[in-house]
Parts: sequence; C-alpha cells; structure tokens
Amino acid sequence: MSILVNKDSKVLIQGITGTQASFHVRRSVDYGTRVVAGVTPGKGGTMHLNVPVFDKVAEAVRETGANASVMYVPAKFVKDAVREAAEAELDLAVCIADGVPIKDMMEIKEMLRGAKTKLIGPNTPGIITPGEARLGIFPENIHRPGRIGIVSRSSTLTYEAVIETNRAGLGQSTVIGLGDDMLIGMDFIEILDLFMKDPGTDAVVMIGQLGGTFEEAGARYYKSLPDKKPIIGFVAGNAVPFGHKMGYAGDVITKGHVTAQDKKDVMTDSGMVVVDKINDIHLELNKIFPRND
Amino acid sequence: MNIHEYQAKKILSQYGINIPKGRIAYTPLEAKRAASEVSFRGPWMLKAQIQSGARKKGYFLDKKAGRKGGIRLVKSRRDIVREAEKMLGSTLVTVQTGPKGKLVSRVYVEAYNKVDKIFYASLVIDRMAPAITLLVADTKDEDIAGIAVNKPEKILRVPLDLITGASPEQIQNIMEFLKLGSKVAKNLETFINGMHQAFVDYDATMIEVNPVGVTRHGSILALDAKMSFDNNALYRHKDVSVLQDDYEEEDRELKASKYGFQYSEFDGSIGCIVNGDGIALAAMDLIRAKGDFGTACFLNVKGGVDKDKIAAGIKIIMTNPKVEGILINILGGFLRCNLIADGIVAAASQVGLNVPLVVRFEGTNKDEAKDILEHSKLPIIIADDMEDSVNKLIAAMEDSD
Repeated sequence: MSILVNKDSKVLIQGITGTQASFHVRRSVDYGTRVVAGVTPGKGGTMHLNVPVFDKVAEAVRETGANASVMYVPAKFVKDAVREAAEAELDLAVCIADGVPIKDMMEIKEMLRGAKTKLIGPNTPGIITPGEARLGIFPENIHRPGRIGIVSRSSTLTYEAVIETNRAGLGQSTVIGLGDDMLIGMDFIEILDLFMKDPGTDAVVMIGQLGGTFEEAGARYYKSLPDKKPIIGFVAGNAVPFGHKMGYAGDVITKGHVTAQDKKDVMTDSGMVVVDKINDIHLELNKIFPRND
Repeated sequence: MNIHEYQAKKILSQYGINIPKGRIAYTPLEAKRAASEVSFRGPWMLKAQIQSGARKKGYFLDKKAGRKGGIRLVKSRRDIVREAEKMLGSTLVTVQTGPKGKLVSRVYVEAYNKVDKIFYASLVIDRMAPAITLLVADTKDEDIAGIAVNKPEKILRVPLDLITGASPEQIQNIMEFLKLGSKVAKNLETFINGMHQAFVDYDATMIEVNPVGVTRHGSILALDAKMSFDNNALYRHKDVSVLQDDYEEEDRELKASKYGFQYSEFDGSIGCIVNGDGIALAAMDLIRAKGDFGTACFLNVKGGVDKDKIAAGIKIIMTNPKVEGILINILGGFLRCNLIADGIVAAASQVGLNVPLVVRFEGTNKDEAKDILEHSKLPIIIADDMEDSVNKLIAAMEDSD
C-alpha cells in the first residue's frame, strides 16, 4: 500500500519535450511508472519517449485517462499549467520547478481551493512509491519498498531520510517532498493524515525546515489524534546565526523569531521522537522496529 | 531584493501615498543643494540610505561620524553639510545589519514634517493563510521591536483580499484599533489600498512604513519606507531590478548569485558546498556539534546543470582565505553528481587545491562522479554519509595543523 500514487496511477507529463524532462521521464518509465501522455503546447499529435503528446491537458486526459501530472514547465508557466491540471480535474499535480513567483502561488492556492486536484510542490523532488511509481526527480536507486512513510520540506534531506530508513533495514511506503518554497501545495497536515490512514504505513519520518509554521501546524494535528503511528522528526538549522534582515514584519507575522529548536520543541510536545542529528534517524527507527539480522 | 528608503517612497508616492519632500545626495554639497530644494527653512531630516531598519538607534564605526545614529535632525544649512560629511563614507551598524555594518554612500535629505500621531504599518505575506496581511500597531509608547516581543496582542493583523485589498469594515476596524479621528478615514483607506496595490503590482514580499505620521489636519504621511521584492518575479519588473545596490551585497554573495547560486558567510573555517537549504543547515549543525571549526561559508548550487557555472561557484569557496577545509555534500536528484565532480576538478586545476576536501555523493550518477574524482588524482577524500564526511574532514584538518 501507499498514498497518492501507485503502480496503477496514469501519469501525464506537462512540458515533456524539454531536455531535463526527457532525462527524468525516461528514468521514471524505466522504473515502472505508467506514463501515458505528454503535454507540450504546439507539439500535439507527435510522439515523444513512446507516448503521445497533446496540446492540452484536457485532451490528454480524455484520450488516455491520465489522473496525475508531473510538471517540468519553467517557473513562469507554472500558474497556467496548474490551472490546466485543475480544470481537467486530475487527482494530483506535482510541480518540480523552483523559482515560482509568490504572487503566482497565491493565485494558484486560490484556484485550488475546493478543487479536486491536489498540488505537491513547487520546488519539490516529487513523490515516489518505491517499486511502483516515480513522479519527479528522485534518485530512484536509493529507494526500497517498505512500510515507512517519509514527508519532508527539504528536497535534499528527503534523500537523507530515505537512506536512514535503509540503514535501519527498512523501506519506504511513499516518499514525498513538500517543496522548499515559501508557499506550497499540500502541507504536513494533509500528508500525515494520509499516512495515518494508510494500512501500508507503520511509521513516518517527518523532516521540517526553517521558515513558516508548517511543522507546528502538523504537530498540532498529530497531537490531536487519539490513535497515532510513531513519527520520527528532524529540523535542521540549529547552527544558523541570526543574520541580516530588513524590517520587523517577518518576525511579527510568525509571532517572534522562530528557530529550529522552537519547531523541535513543538514536535516533541506533540508526541513525535525528534532527533538532533539526521544520521540518528535509523537508530530511533530500530528502537521501534528492531533489526532481526 | 531590497531597495533603499528613497526608492521605496518614490514607488509608494505613485500610489497616492503622501511622502515628505525629499532629495537624494551623494556628496555634502549635493546635500546642501537638496536641502534648499525641499524646503526654504529647516529643520531637515538627514537619513543614511542603507537597507536596514533601526537606523536611528544605530551607531557609526567611524569616529568622524560622531555619536549620533543614521537619522539626524538638522536645523541649519551649514549643519547639513557638516552632518552629511560625517555620515557619507562611514559605516553604520544597526541591530539588523550585523556587526560589520553597512557603508553609507548616499543620504536622503527631507523636509521635516510635524505630526500629531505615529503608528507602524506593514504588508507581508502570511504563508500559512496564505494572504497578504496588513500589520498595524500604535507606536507612541513603545517601538515595534519591543511590541513584537513583549506585547504581540498590540499588533492588529488584517488579511487582505489579493484583488480588492482592504474592505470598508477592515478600514473601520483599523481606525478603531489605532483610535484615529473620523477625518482620517478616507486618507487611511487611500494609504492602505495604495500600499496593497503597490505590493501586488510590484510582486513585493514586504512593505514596511515605520512610522506612518498623522498630521493635525488628518493627512497621512509615510515618514519611512522599506520594500522587498520577490527575486523570482524580478523578470516582470525591469524598473525594479536596475535598483539593485551591489554595495549592499557581499562580493562573493554577488558573484554566486550571478551564477544562480546562493552563498552565505559565517565565522568558522569550513567551506561547504551543498545542493539544498536543508542539507546546508544539517551540515552546519553537524559541524557545530563536532568541534570548534565552525562553518566559514556555504554555497548552495541548487539544481544547477551547467558544469562551467558549478566550477565557477566552487572557485568562490576555494579562493575564500578563511576556508581551511572544504566539505561537499551532494544528494543528486535533478542535479547530477558527475557535474559536481567535473566542476571540482575544473576549479582545482584553475586555482589549486590547498586545503583538505571531503566529498560525499549520493543519488543520481554518483558512481560516475566518484570515478571522475579518482581519475583526477586530486587528494580528495570520499565519505559514505553526511556524518562520516564531517568526521573525515575534521580529522584531516586537525592533521594538517
């Protein structure tokens, strides 16, 4: 079992004909992902990487039954790409691009309010259900099928968390990067909720990041649960000195300067096991799931 | 990206917001001329243009600048020249600049305006909502820095509609919160919606007016202004990007940003090259936990795909004299490890490699990357995981002492 994507997900690729897209889509296909269509305006009717290319997402959905999208479009086209995905009522859209303007993201969040489509990202490595489907740019060779869910704000530390589950002799049910940007689609609450309900997930690794209060919101949700699966948490940034800033507004909005330690404290208080070093995650996992070798 | 006060005020004034009459000056003589242009008689405000708050409470590192802060009330024309001479070319330190401070290369000369009341107003993005959110507070008795820490309940937060700005009810609430007289209502609405429209039009990430002044007649004046912009949207605002003040950026930071990378400096002696914010922070945490070396700088090459740019970025670290050891942690996804390896070899062949260098590769094309380094014959140490990489580097640095 897994959350959001599995071997039956029918995936279309927005911006399929780009160089980077081609590189990663080929790898996703080799991994077993069911890539059924591509979308690149102006290239409809052609074939690329052995799948049909369409001008519009809606056409691709009508012809192929695709229900998820990975967007490799440049940042400035993301808003339009998400609109198309939402209008075609896809279940899931994964946005890889970094550098999406914040105002565009505010409009996107507005657009997706009440929509069927869930957005992961932007600025995310994507989502992978090991052995079944890879939507994004994950280094697939580090993943192993298993029963630990991983959700992370930091792209690179997602990989670090995957390696830690491997070191513990475990594997991953589904791995999700929420994205490094200021505004993101799905957040910790939504993903933790899915993991808690997923019969294929026994425990979760949650990696937070400085900026915003997404971790605190996730922790509050977790604390409120009557039954919970274990969560191992980590937040980087203890050694960051208080650097140069401009104005006071940023601190006011978060009700003071929020440090990594503040986040860890809230997470610990919610019942998560929070580690100080990311390379200690496997030790905590083995306390819950002892190695039998 | 940030801009200076006088530039922000100019933008705000295009949205119907009143600002004191002012001129910018790069020399004491220009300051004198500016003073005559903005007002027949004093007093004037002389304001150091650096991109920081708390300038008034700041201090100059240079003796010649005197003991007063970066915002000075000046009564006579002669004093304009004298005070401008003191401030120009001096370095101003505030609680927001860090101890190195910032060089004052221009001063803003403004007509002094008497006001009856002041308050704090800013627009910022509340990422949890998400919404552009107005923050206001009465700052008569305490400044905003104090209120933010001690009495956050004294700050009113008003989420604004992205398209329509503040509603009449919201304006009414703000009026009551700040205890403003009814003759201010119309002006307050113009002020807030002007700020909001400027924020939206310019893809701003922050506008702060501290203080806002209310005159005896109920007019509203922006007595200060700070504005920050979304770097990712600058391509839509060529008129703003030309305002980038390179003097506000550290040399290496600026170089790195030209290659699309992010670079920051700290007090230690280890230079880090990483490909993400999270891994940068995690590496810094480990370095701190493992001893006294500390992080000198980190370069985040993000998802770079251009070998030459990566080499140029690595050279920035290799040529930083404070760096006594280099730690490279790359978790390749979009970024391919072999490009980093090529970059290391190219950079080392151009500027030499005189300090221990430990590399840890994981993910996309990591085996190719290791091959490249092994064939290069460079004295590079390869590590298995992040903690291992920090341990190996520190051991190598202690050996070479």
